[in-house]
Amino acid sequence: MSDTTQIAERNQGAATQRPGDRAARQTSISPAVDIFEDSQRIVLWADLPGVRKDQLDVRVQDGYLYIEAEITVPTPASLRLQYSEIRGPYYARAFSLSSDFDASKIDANLQDGILKLTIPRRVEAQPRRIEIKVA
Amino acid sequence: MSDLYFGADLFSEFERLQKQMTGLLGGFPSSIRSGRLGAFPQVNVGSTDESIEIIVFAPGINPAELDVTIDKGLLSISGERKSLRPDGQGDLRTYAQERFVGSFKRTIELPQNADPDKVQARYVDGCLSISVGKHESSKPRAITVQ
Repeated sequence: MSDTTQIAERNQGAATQRPGDRAARQTSISPAVDIFEDSQRIVLWADLPGVRKDQLDVRVQDGYLYIEAEITVPTPASLRLQYSEIRGPYYARAFSLSSDFDASKIDANLQDGILKLTIPRRVEAQPRRIEIKVA
Repeated sequence: MSDLYFGADLFSEFERLQKQMTGLLGGFPSSIRSGRLGAFPQVNVGSTDESIEIIVFAPGINPAELDVTIDKGLLSISGERKSLRPDGQGDLRTYAQERFVGSFKRTIELPQNADPDKVQARYVDGCLSISVGKHESSKPRAITVQ
């Protein structure tokens, strides 16, 4: 894919976390994301299966966007795990946000385990066409 | 081996080593029919005294389009996930495309004592929970000593 620009590195299994946040870093899963940008906004889709709306925490702090969530899958109390590919129970991932984006207008939507974040560009950062007057 | 990582703290070095070991050993004993790690959708399997519980982590799928079948002790889950990339936009830039797209099928080998007539499945928050009952005769019994 030639149009892929590297901004987010994914470290399978390990979480992209704030330095020093060791507890979260050792146990959390880095969710898979799709990130697309057009002239008005950036749209991020993240796979967060097993996350209820109240267990999801999306926040912007010091120019970073944090996505943190906890998996809550109802299981019988006496369950013995025999095989597992998702060791959970936490998802965590962080991205740096450039100042072109308006962090106060982020729209977040969680449905069927997929989080959709829409981050609009600031009006002054949107591309403008400059009219050329013919004299 | 890892000059790149040298200088990182000891804990993250341990973490990396542990991940390598889990990759080699798989952590849990797995069936000969189970695929590689990292396949979509990811599954967890557990059991209770009464049932076998399978959790399938398949976000963003219409439950009506999920196909769950049991045939000769093999539980199969298949379906398709479509791309969310908006098309028809010339100036769209893609920064990451890590999410699985396409059709998938995963097969889980059920133990001998599974009862294919007692299956329940529900899809909540992108997780498909399948509960397969066990045959009466295989449930644990306390034996009285005379």
